[in-house]
Amino acid sequence: MEHFEQLAASIEKGDSANTKALVKHAIGENIPAQDILNNALIVGMNRIGIKFRNNEVFIPEVLVAARAMKAGLELLRPLLGEGSIDMKGKVAIGTVKGDLHDIGKNIVGVMLEGAGYEVVDLGTDVSKEAFLEAAQNTKAKIIGLSALLTTTMPYMNEIIDTLKEADLRDKIKVIIGGAPVTQTFADEIGADGYAPDAASAVDLVESLA
Amino acid sequence: MGKELLFAVFRNKIPERTPWVPFAGVHAGKLKGYLTQEILTDGDKLLESLLEVNRVYSPDGQPVMFDLQLEAEILGCDLIWDKKAPPSVVSHPLAKTRNIELSIPGPDDGRLPIILDVMRNLKERVGNTTALFGLICGPLTLASHLRGTEFFLDLMKDQSFVANLVEFCREVNKNIATYYIEAGMDVIAVVDPVVSLISPKHFEQFLSEAYTEIFAHIRKTDRFSSFFVCGDATKNIELMCRTKPDSIFVDENIDMVQAKMITDAYQITIGGNLPLTTVMLLGTQMDNMKSAVDLMDKMGRQRYVLAPGCDMPYDVPEENVIGIIQAVRDFEHTKAMLQNYTRENFDIPVDLPDYGNLFRPLVEIFTLDSATCPACGYMKKAVDEAQEHFGKKIDTVEYKLTLPENIARAKKMNIQHVPVILINGDIKYSSYLPSRNDLFKEIEGHI
Ligand code: B12
Repeated sequence: MEHFEQLAASIEKGDSANTKALVKHAIGENIPAQDILNNALIVGMNRIGIKFRNNEVFIPEVLVAARAMKAGLELLRPLLGEGSIDMKGKVAIGTVKGDLHDIGKNIVGVMLEGAGYEVVDLGTDVSKEAFLEAAQNTKAKIIGLSALLTTTMPYMNEIIDTLKEADLRDKIKVIIGGAPVTQTFADEIGADGYAPDAASAVDLVESLA
Repeated sequence: MGKELLFAVFRNKIPERTPWVPFAGVHAGKLKGYLTQEILTDGDKLLESLLEVNRVYSPDGQPVMFDLQLEAEILGCDLIWDKKAPPSVVSHPLAKTRNIELSIPGPDDGRLPIILDVMRNLKERVGNTTALFGLICGPLTLASHLRGTEFFLDLMKDQSFVANLVEFCREVNKNIATYYIEAGMDVIAVVDPVVSLISPKHFEQFLSEAYTEIFAHIRKTDRFSSFFVCGDATKNIELMCRTKPDSIFVDENIDMVQAKMITDAYQITIGGNLPLTTVMLLGTQMDNMKSAVDLMDKMGRQRYVLAPGCDMPYDVPEENVIGIIQAVRDFEHTKAMLQNYTRENFDIPVDLPDYGNLFRPLVEIFTLDSATCPACGYMKKAVDEAQEHFGKKIDTVEYKLTLPENIARAKKMNIQHVPVILINGDIKYSSYLPSRNDLFKEIEGHI
């Protein structure tokens, strides 16, 4: 218990070295990897997500916390084994073509990883063909699209059309986000969901998965 | 005149009307049919576009170039270009090293000679009436261009590197400011959108001193300074004030009334924050007039400048800007016009001409008010010239939307935007000034 709290706090502080040490220590004490993930890593990352949503912390704080969480997750991954971590499913996420903003997308990705999903990061400037390929080949059941420019937002619609043409639309859930995106826009283009920030993105994925 | 209004506001005087500064960066090119890369790399096209902005939008102040990648490009960042947006940085010279072995850009580096030349020319052509803004990329945004996203981690983990990099960027800023001032700029605006992403604590730790020094440097030369953020910087506004700029311009996600309470306490002018996308790009002309009127209403004339939240999108329709100008030029009438327009029972009876059976061609022009709206004035003048040229062979008439019955007429004819010229009831030129030749030929065709 105490370990968990220390570990969560270490993630919140973004202390990668300490996080690694604490994870190793917990593993040494035979605490199951899944418990370390659920009761410490996810807890810490969640707290940061909520503070970020409430404007109590900002991008730099979130990014260091994300790095610490990744460092911890790296150590746990071999122990979690395919089965358990895959249980919650795969999400492929990318910033759409013409758009290079990836800070928000990356934060969403890390928060989802923190929540136990496997995240395939497609990067930035991602074409509809690449999203289609991800839908066909990665086993991702949810695809996340990010756009920060009003000029690249409409491309989300094209991606949805591409999935439709390939007869994949009803097998894949599409969620969208990015500062200029709204729920209204999501409804308009027939996306399955929209979230205004990373913490809500996790809730959204939970509700769809 | 225009520029004096703006200066009066910066000096804490109450102007006779609110000054207005359209941030026509990439959008300037649209007015002349040029894409972004053309105006941001070709001085002649840039100058031509900026003169057009000056003519059609009659700004009290106007920026010369809105490209936050200009300095980064000189310092070794690769750019990719977009047709209708500013270029983007795609590589970072400091991505893999913390050795800041970069030199301060000189006036002959990169695209600086082009921009300095345009500044001097523009100063000569419109500098008597319009305040010219030289925009520089602020230290935090420049630092993140040079280092990439890693910079945000450095903020937490390598504070001495951050301090050194910000210091370098501060020196770049001061030097560029000097070049721009020597080229005739009246206002130096430091634009730093990344400021909206960091905490007040980091602002204080890394930026307060740098900014104070930059603004002091500008003040020494007797020019005005601005701090632009672009993004939700609510939590940093107070700290920004303490760095002592003459003005702060903020984006649409900021509550202006609350922000003004803070800036007022420091006697600093605040500018903004017409919504770029929902209103300027996608709204109607009426939406734009309303947005401008509402802002001016709640902000008052002291220490306030009407402006977009940030660089205007390329495709903003001209008539939307024209609507805003009308609100600036004739606040009271525009307010009344808007009330008329939104009134629910709007049935003033109007008789439309029998367009199919006219004796001679009828040229109608709908304006906001040709006396105050410059674009309306130009179009009205074209119609007057046609009347003079064709004499009794045509009829012309102007309908100003300042009168309720003319609004009723516009509504009945389904006119959405003004100024607009119609011939025999058909819309021919909407917010677009035809050449004398074209207009005359068009009319000729109806005689
Ligand atoms: C940082 C930044 C950049 C950096 C990007 C670095 C990077 N690696 O990402 C650089 C300098 C490269 C850049 C370039 C440009 N930028 Co820029 N940039 C910004 C800035 C300052 C912050 C964006 C950001 O990272 N926000 C923080 C993150 C965490 O928020 P977020 O992305 O919204 O993500 C959250 C939510 O939206 C949601 N979310 C995001 N994605 C997804 C996806 C899913 C599936 C879900 C569910 C949720 C979700 O969760 C996230 C976390 O809570 C904004 C202005 C501002 N202050 O907001 C401008 C801004 C976005 N940029 C803008 C522009 C115009 C540009 C440029 C065209 C030119 C320029 N420099 O001015 C280029 C275009 C590059 C390109 N082709 O993409 C404009 C966009 C205007 C518009 N609405 O169209 C803005 C708004 C600035 C402005 N007011 O002019 N930019």
